[in-house]
Amino acid sequence: MTKPEQPDPSGDEIEVRIAADAAQLPMLRAITSAVAMRQDYDLDSIADLKMAVDEACSMLVLRAITGSLLTVRFTPKSEIRVVATVLSDSDDWPDTGAFSWHVLSTLTDSLEAGVSQGAADPGGHVLWIELTKRNALGDE
Amino acid sequence: MTTRARTKNGYEHLAPLFHELAALPQDDPRRTVLRDELVTGHLPVAEHIARRFAHRGESGEDLVQVATVGLINAVDRFDPTRGTDFLSFAVPTVMGEIRRYFRDSSWSVRVPRRLKELHLSITAAGNELSQQLGRAPTPSEIATRLGLSKDEVYEGLEAGNAYHSVSLDDMLTQDSDNTSLGEMLGEPDSALEGVENHESLLPLVRELPERERTILLLRFFGNLTQTQIAEKIGISQMHVSRLLARTLQKLRDGLLEEQ
Repeated sequence: MTKPEQPDPSGDEIEVRIAADAAQLPMLRAITSAVAMRQDYDLDSIADLKMAVDEACSMLVLRAITGSLLTVRFTPKSEIRVVATVLSDSDDWPDTGAFSWHVLSTLTDSLEAGVSQGAADPGGHVLWIELTKRNALGDE
Repeated sequence: MTTRARTKNGYEHLAPLFHELAALPQDDPRRTVLRDELVTGHLPVAEHIARRFAHRGESGEDLVQVATVGLINAVDRFDPTRGTDFLSFAVPTVMGEIRRYFRDSSWSVRVPRRLKELHLSITAAGNELSQQLGRAPTPSEIATRLGLSKDEVYEGLEAGNAYHSVSLDDMLTQDSDNTSLGEMLGEPDSALEGVENHESLLPLVRELPERERTILLLRFFGNLTQTQIAEKIGISQMHVSRLLARTLQKLRDGLLEEQ
């Protein structure tokens, strides 16, 4: 899978690289919220996306190699697409039976996750998760 | 120039009033007059103490009010027959009141008054709009309703993140914990069946306070939106959002501990 390596040429894309540490998640929540607000999502969808990014990144951070980076890319278009990746020692991902996965699928419109091979150096596995959230108003 | 007996602290002239007040029967109308005079006379003390805390980001006006409440309490509780002077009794009482105010105040981060008010009016407008629209409003709808710029609405929405867990709306809706939410909402326990697929989660969910559990179940197993849940429970969508985020965090931490 090459999903994490597809930069979007549109000008709206935002990529954040941050320590793969749970202490950094409030920062990501704030950014997520700013992205969704500026797309004029309704308050329910903003809150859902915020929780979803929080949940997804929590799952990734848990599995990340200590001292590595969490990368989160936001692509706001007709829907907001979020792709988050970390480097992990394990390729045991994702656990779709976990409650977190259930939470994520409730909060999002689409959800996918997988593993791609990391670069030869430093090695490891790239765990990725991709989710999208549509503005609820678009459904009307 | 009036010559007051400013011997020690400038309030000596008020001291006899305490004795006069103490001597009056409980129902004497003059008690109110004396009490007012004592409170007014000592106001500079309250203002002085309030000023010392003003740099913490609360508005000075609020703090003076809180300090004045402390001062009134001190006047009411002071016993002149004990031999201590009023100031050494009043200062700790007023400071205590201000400390309590900081402790209880609902914002974990000092948020300027303007932002708090902005957040509150956005919450109110949000509630109104969701009633009218039958769904959660967008920031631009809120901006139009309140005659604000979208940026102001973004700012006010974000200010809500500084809410403490013991938030204002928590206090306002505390009563809902007394009436059983289970009764109010039908059988939320049937939704627990959904949780049973996640065995390790069940004990954690059962431990949650009733309101948090109900919100969790309605959102993730009943598939209601936050706005629909807010309406059912009688709190704001933003409050549901905060409670839900906190609950998920709690469950994550709990599951982690188990491993």
